Amino acid sequence: MSDMNCQSAKELLPLYLYGELSFDDEETIESHLDGCAACRTALERQRQVHASLDNLAVEPSPALLRACRDELHVRLAHESGAQGAGWWERFTHMLTGPAWMRPAGALTMIAIGFAAARLIPPGAFTGSGALEMGMVEPSSRVRDVQPSGDGKVRIVLDETRQKEVSGALDNEKIRVLLISAAKDPSDPGLRAESVEILNASAQFSEVRDALLAALKDQNAGVRLKAMSGLKSFAQQPEVRTAMTQVLLADVNPEMRSQAIDLLTKGMENPVDRFDRQVIGAMQELMQRENNAYVRQRCKTALEAVKASTETY
Amino acid sequence: MAQKTAAQLDETELIRAAQSGDRAAFEQLVRSYDQSVLRLAMNLLRSPEDAQDVYQEAFLRVYKNLDKFRFDCSFHTWLYRIVTNLCLDHLRKRKVRREEPTVLTTAEGPIDRMDNVTEERVDGDPQRFLFSGELRKRVKETLAEFTPRERMVFELRHYQGLRLRRIGEILGTTEEAAKNCLFRATQKMRAALGDFV
Repeated sequence: MSDMNCQSAKELLPLYLYGELSFDDEETIESHLDGCAACRTALERQRQVHASLDNLAVEPSPALLRACRDELHVRLAHESGAQGAGWWERFTHMLTGPAWMRPAGALTMIAIGFAAARLIPPGAFTGSGALEMGMVEPSSRVRDVQPSGDGKVRIVLDETRQKEVSGALDNEKIRVLLISAAKDPSDPGLRAESVEILNASAQFSEVRDALLAALKDQNAGVRLKAMSGLKSFAQQPEVRTAMTQVLLADVNPEMRSQAIDLLTKGMENPVDRFDRQVIGAMQELMQRENNAYVRQRCKTALEAVKASTETY
Repeated sequence: MAQKTAAQLDETELIRAAQSGDRAAFEQLVRSYDQSVLRLAMNLLRSPEDAQDVYQEAFLRVYKNLDKFRFDCSFHTWLYRIVTNLCLDHLRKRKVRREEPTVLTTAEGPIDRMDNVTEERVDGDPQRFLFSGELRKRVKETLAEFTPRERMVFELRHYQGLRLRRIGEILGTTEEAAKNCLFRATQKMRAALGDFV
């Protein structure tokens, strides 16, 4: 028994759980805990407090993140406007950017059309290969501009046209489109929605591959949805391998916690079915896990299969 | 085209490209950090509108001052100095309020942070469930009692998982001062939960 009293030990328990005590303080508190059942109970209670706090964390919705990015894109364009950002870029962003800017974009377009009708002589755009202003797609992007020498300008536009398709998930083409949307790097909201829809057709191998890829998405909301879709396939080797990687590499404690649940799900005979790779990964997690709740889940799972909670 | 796209650049190259006026590189840089910035602001301020304000203001400040970034600390530390200052300003302005609600207004509707503590976590044991319910209430009250600095250090350590040394760097103080701040916060929590812990 060390010379630390219970009062001092209890005060230091939170910092002990955060791993923020000095080497000497940690040694002293561990020595005290070895000989003091009351403080060990207090430590367990403190772990519960930590776990409760963990659950209060809020993950911003993909929609909020998208709105922030859209607004920032517009504001950056505005900021750099004085340094040479084109009016066209700002104008087209009014039409394709956040919803609140679109009326302004539409009004601008009407104004341009009105001014063009008054200022541009009839027949100005009727030459060979020339575009009429009315044909320009709102989402067009100017790729290249060149003066043609006769007072006109040659503009190369990238255009995208919208097309609506609909169909059931058993339609392969629909699945291909959804899988493509689930990988769209520019739009986490679209990825999250696509993954959620794909979850209903995870019996198709290409969908499972997409969900496995989505486990590495930079957006935690997308990853959590992909995790949910793979729950029914927890016994498949590729899913177990991916879950093991989540366990060791995902920064989100909820993901790690769900990976533990999924890897230990439905074990009738734990010793036979709990393979060495998973046990090794969970033992490794015990060494590095900062989150008290995840540690506890991991410890419980290891104890359930009578595995050591430490590595040797 | 031999030139690399923004996605292929590493962080140092991205920063240098953004410093030379490449806006696509800057937006790529933003995307490496903006989710954690938004999460921090959202958890501290509990309002999507305020979190959105902090997000915009922080990244615009970074954009305008990027030429002053000299790589004498990590970009993460530099960015978080800006973000934490903005959040502290918001928290200090709110300090006049006696109590902050724990209900967050989100795009998906109101969420009470405390409601995320589920029954599953107490294994259905009635006695432990009572413990959990009372605990939730006390934690809720105590978080509202933290000073802005305690709240910030607590948030960065507990929810963002940053070490105290890094927190000190971000807040422009020493590791020891950050540790004292975290200690005070945890003591407040311990005092509030006296009969639990």
